[in-house]
Amino acid sequence: MKLRGLLPLFGVAAKIVYLTQWRKTMTSPDWDVPSPLSRLGLEDADGIPEGGFGAVAAPAGVGKTALLVQLALHAMLKDEPVLHVSLQDPVQKIGLWYRELFQNLAGHEGLPRAGQVWERILPNRFIMSFQVEGFTVPRLEERISDLTAQNIFHPRLMIVDGLRFQPEIAPTLKDLKRYAEKQGLRVWFTVHVHRRDTDAHGLGPNELNELLGMFAVILKLDTVGDEIKIRVEKGFPGGEAPAALSLDPTSLLLRAS
Amino acid sequence: MKNDQQKVRNIGISAHIDSGKTTLTERILYYTDRIHAIHEVKGKDGVGATMDSMELERERGITIASAATYCRWRDHEINIIDTPGHVDFTIEVERSLRVLDGAVLVLCAVGGVQSQSITVDQQMKRYRVPCLAFINKCDRNGASPERVIDQLRSKLGHRAVPLQMPIGLEADFQGVVDLVSMKALYFEGDKGERVVEEAIPAALMEQAKGLREALIDAASLHSDELTEAILEGVDLPEEVLIEAIRRATLARQLTPVLMGSAYKNRGVQPLLDAITRYLPCPADIQNEALDTAHEERPVVLTSKGTDPALALAFKLEDGPYGQLTYIRVYQGVIAKGQTLINARSGRKFKIGRVVRMHSEQMEDIEAIEAGYIGALFGIECASGDTFIAPGLSLTMTSMFVPEPVISLSIMPQDNKSQVGMSKALSRFTKEDPTFKTFVDAETGETIIEGMGELHLDVYVERMRREYGCDVTTGQPRVAYRETITQRADFNYTHKKQTGGAGQFGRIAGYLEPLEDADFEFVNAIVGGAIPTQFIPACEKGFRSCLAKGPRMEFPVTGIRVVIDDGASHAVDSSDMAFQAAARGAFREGYLRARPVIKEPIMKVVVETPTEFQGSVMGLLNQRRGMILGAQDEGPQCVIEAQTPLAEMFGFSTVLRSATQGKAQFTMEFAHYRQVPQGLAEKIAEEMAAKKKRAA
Repeated sequence: MKLRGLLPLFGVAAKIVYLTQWRKTMTSPDWDVPSPLSRLGLEDADGIPEGGFGAVAAPAGVGKTALLVQLALHAMLKDEPVLHVSLQDPVQKIGLWYRELFQNLAGHEGLPRAGQVWERILPNRFIMSFQVEGFTVPRLEERISDLTAQNIFHPRLMIVDGLRFQPEIAPTLKDLKRYAEKQGLRVWFTVHVHRRDTDAHGLGPNELNELLGMFAVILKLDTVGDEIKIRVEKGFPGGEAPAALSLDPTSLLLRAS
Repeated sequence: MKNDQQKVRNIGISAHIDSGKTTLTERILYYTDRIHAIHEVKGKDGVGATMDSMELERERGITIASAATYCRWRDHEINIIDTPGHVDFTIEVERSLRVLDGAVLVLCAVGGVQSQSITVDQQMKRYRVPCLAFINKCDRNGASPERVIDQLRSKLGHRAVPLQMPIGLEADFQGVVDLVSMKALYFEGDKGERVVEEAIPAALMEQAKGLREALIDAASLHSDELTEAILEGVDLPEEVLIEAIRRATLARQLTPVLMGSAYKNRGVQPLLDAITRYLPCPADIQNEALDTAHEERPVVLTSKGTDPALALAFKLEDGPYGQLTYIRVYQGVIAKGQTLINARSGRKFKIGRVVRMHSEQMEDIEAIEAGYIGALFGIECASGDTFIAPGLSLTMTSMFVPEPVISLSIMPQDNKSQVGMSKALSRFTKEDPTFKTFVDAETGETIIEGMGELHLDVYVERMRREYGCDVTTGQPRVAYRETITQRADFNYTHKKQTGGAGQFGRIAGYLEPLEDADFEFVNAIVGGAIPTQFIPACEKGFRSCLAKGPRMEFPVTGIRVVIDDGASHAVDSSDMAFQAAARGAFREGYLRARPVIKEPIMKVVVETPTEFQGSVMGLLNQRRGMILGAQDEGPQCVIEAQTPLAEMFGFSTVLRSATQGKAQFTMEFAHYRQVPQGLAEKIAEEMAAKKKRAA
């Protein structure tokens, strides 16, 4: 077959990719699960642009990690590589979070062939665990470049779990912001809020409020009786969310309330 | 043997490779007067440690088969099972844990909680074995018992509480502070045999008080007496604290942590004290057996000497005087001249010699009582068998035995080797349920199967040394499986009319993928389209197809067969006819159900200095590995990956050269996963070529 157009420039290695086939491979053949946050009216999947920050703030044990793992699972189902950086738990434990929530999701929605789908989406996740004192942005950059340089993993969404939001966090966040913008990464953080600060707005203590500008979306988890409610602190385009969301306290799955 | 169960401890010593457990055992035996000289594992004196009884273990510096031995410490009898540290020999670890009442988890003060410690800990959890932790190698550079205790808490989820604190560390490690008696312990003499108690150095007093406070706090949750004593502010009696720690340890609510350096002879005697104080005696543990006469209902064993005897054979060894069977007696007494029954085979046998083992040396005794470990001579059995007194219908719970994942063909060099090889193989298969062997009907080769490269390597090596047979080995082969990926219908009629009685059977239904099990047969026939008496024949027919898939001839797994229609003939239908129809139906449906090949995926954990993290990930990636995560732990990092077994041959050499020998890895079977299309075609070609050669 004689090659026409630009293809000869690429030599024999070039392959014609037909658009119809391309579409077929790119759209997830498995499950059509809507974004867990779409009910909140956030744009796109999670409402933050490339290079943007999002945060989930709550006291300990309310479900910050569970919420972010669900965002991550959703991204993985769309074949979007997710890098989960944890500063508190070992790799195995985080792996269990994913497995558990995936099984809950599959069971809850009655989705077929869960085992096969899990096998398919697993390569879309990479977990890095750091000791709190050993975590610096240059170190993280070095680790990620280990992965990207060898073409092992190219993250699009990053979850940073367990970073301590204290007033001296500002330089670290600025470094991360610079890196995220350069790489076009979307970054979600968990923010530990003390129970005494739960009524405060923003990220908790007032000293952190100057950092608010860095975040496109801030969600807050509140326990109301037996329920865990999700409140949009910042980022909802219309000011007030059209529907309320909550976390099911037993399965820790998102549901409309 | 004296019969005082309160004074018996059956313990295991488990740990990661190179944590020094064999060295520790050697010291224990020395201090308890069982041996009179200490030999190192990789000793220059060419003798080797006492517990590493096999020549090969001495050479490689690892423990493979767990030797059982007994010793006495302060009028307590301690039976020690030394367990292997490599994951390939996990069945040995599991088997040992089954017969143990307590365990000592040996950790390296530098390496901390490593991957094998995690595996061993999971096994201990499964068998609910209470344990103590011993942080060894406190004299090494970079030793940090504190970090290891943190890891015990964070990685293994133990409520680890130190009972001691070190006096000095690394080269300056001198002894330990006992937080229970609040004394400093030093170890004097050439071999550290004299324990000297002194007052705690003033500089360490504050820290020791703080740690003791934490210890009392943790133990008080399990003792009202201790809580009362604290509230009343009276001086705390040592016995009350010890009893509280013991109770919490038995309930697996607390893990007492001791420390020392076995190699430098420090901290071993206090560990022996702790074993007798905090680990359970046989009467503390409730053992259960299954009643075979009542649908395997669990029955609690009494551990009384007067009840009918019951024992478990947990290890076999081939000695110069015949087969030696290690047993643990759970109930009654097993004595010379007694007649017992092997619960598996139903065969009766009479007990000849009863011995107590000390690694390779033995001591003749009259009887073994409940709670004790001993050995019998000349009993024909397999490991894992239960021996019962006539009249009992019990069996100990069967242990979980994983399926082999790798195979190797072996060929004897000459006739003499042929004889030795068959002897060796029959011995190994009896000793180790994860080691299997068979003759490939097509190629005529003898195939051995096992849990990893090193596992098979060790057996081939043992054949050479112990049985003097030279064998050549083929390329290791991976145990592939086949499965289907979509539902497919079948409707098959088996009809034969070639004179004599005819054969007729029609089966219709469908095959579909099954995720959690290997095979399921569902009979959805209503209205008797196939008469009930032929349904078992249908199932048998389908089952017979599983051993070899119609496409690639690998075993078939993960398949559900549902039959919902069929037909029979009043005269010509028979079991045979329906079995043949089922086989035909399977072939018909299977090829339409998009069969694929699955390969064993191994969970690989590499521990490496951080500077090699990138290159190790590269190595794993080249081997089709999926890296699940990387964990930074200061100077070291741990990389977890899932990698196909087929790609892991020779990995240890590559890893060593890429990391200047500083990284180590462990590997264990995780699950089966579908082989990528390109590779599946290659495997199919290889299989076809092999078939052609065999023909």
